[in-house]
Amino acid sequence: MGEPLVNETGGRIIDAGTHLLDRQISDKDGELVGKVDDLELTFPEGGAPGASPPFVSAILAGPGALGPRLGGGVGRVVSGTHAILHPSTRPGPARIAFGVVTKVAANVELAVSRDELDVVRVENWVREHIISKIPGAQHAPQ
Amino acid sequence: MRLSDLLRADVLDPNGENVGQIHDVRLVKDGLDQGLFGPAYRVQGLVVGVGAWGSRLGYDRGGMKGPYPLKKLFQWFHGDAKFVEWSHVTGIGDNVVHVDMAKEELPAVPMLRQ
Repeated sequence: MGEPLVNETGGRIIDAGTHLLDRQISDKDGELVGKVDDLELTFPEGGAPGASPPFVSAILAGPGALGPRLGGGVGRVVSGTHAILHPSTRPGPARIAFGVVTKVAANVELAVSRDELDVVRVENWVREHIISKIPGAQHAPQ
Repeated sequence: MRLSDLLRADVLDPNGENVGQIHDVRLVKDGLDQGLFGPAYRVQGLVVGVGAWGSRLGYDRGGMKGPYPLKKLFQWFHGDAKFVEWSHVTGIGDNVVHVDMAKEELPAVPMLRQ
């Protein structure tokens, strides 16, 4: 396959859709966090197209990111379910700042624990407020 | 802005001709420092083409090695994708991106492996 392509300053070159999107994310202990459903692109100092190019500032994960990406009826169902289940009145996608990413390879590795991330907070909220209230939910499997 | 705002957007040249859709966004790791991650991935350019199936399999990028029949089939269907350096992007609208180079002047997509 040869060596990965780099630019003149030694910066590794990848294609975002092919090499980042839909990759699994793991936390500092190797626990699964979710997957890369979208990326947040930010213009440095509010730059405009053609001037300073945007950079990848965060990973967006969870149904709040996946719904708009899918679009159409399926996307609306995913986004709507996320809005209903999310504790916030105006829920956005779960955001993982790129500053806590340590490695982008076959999966994306983070330097933090999954419990510190928004994407898991929603999961925990649903478990505490909905799943735990279902009759029989408190009983561990025999 | 999200990556998904760019993916599948139409690309129009200065003559209003549709160059194709954005199939991928090429990043290079030489941006501002982002703490543990080091230099940020900044957008280098856009991979633009007319066919989606061949692109998803990587056949729109130069240097794809084979299988030979599939390579020829997708080339015949779609032609090679074009690469638009970010400096040639002049505007981003709702599901459309404007560039300042004519369709015929845009280069092929550089290989990702040497």
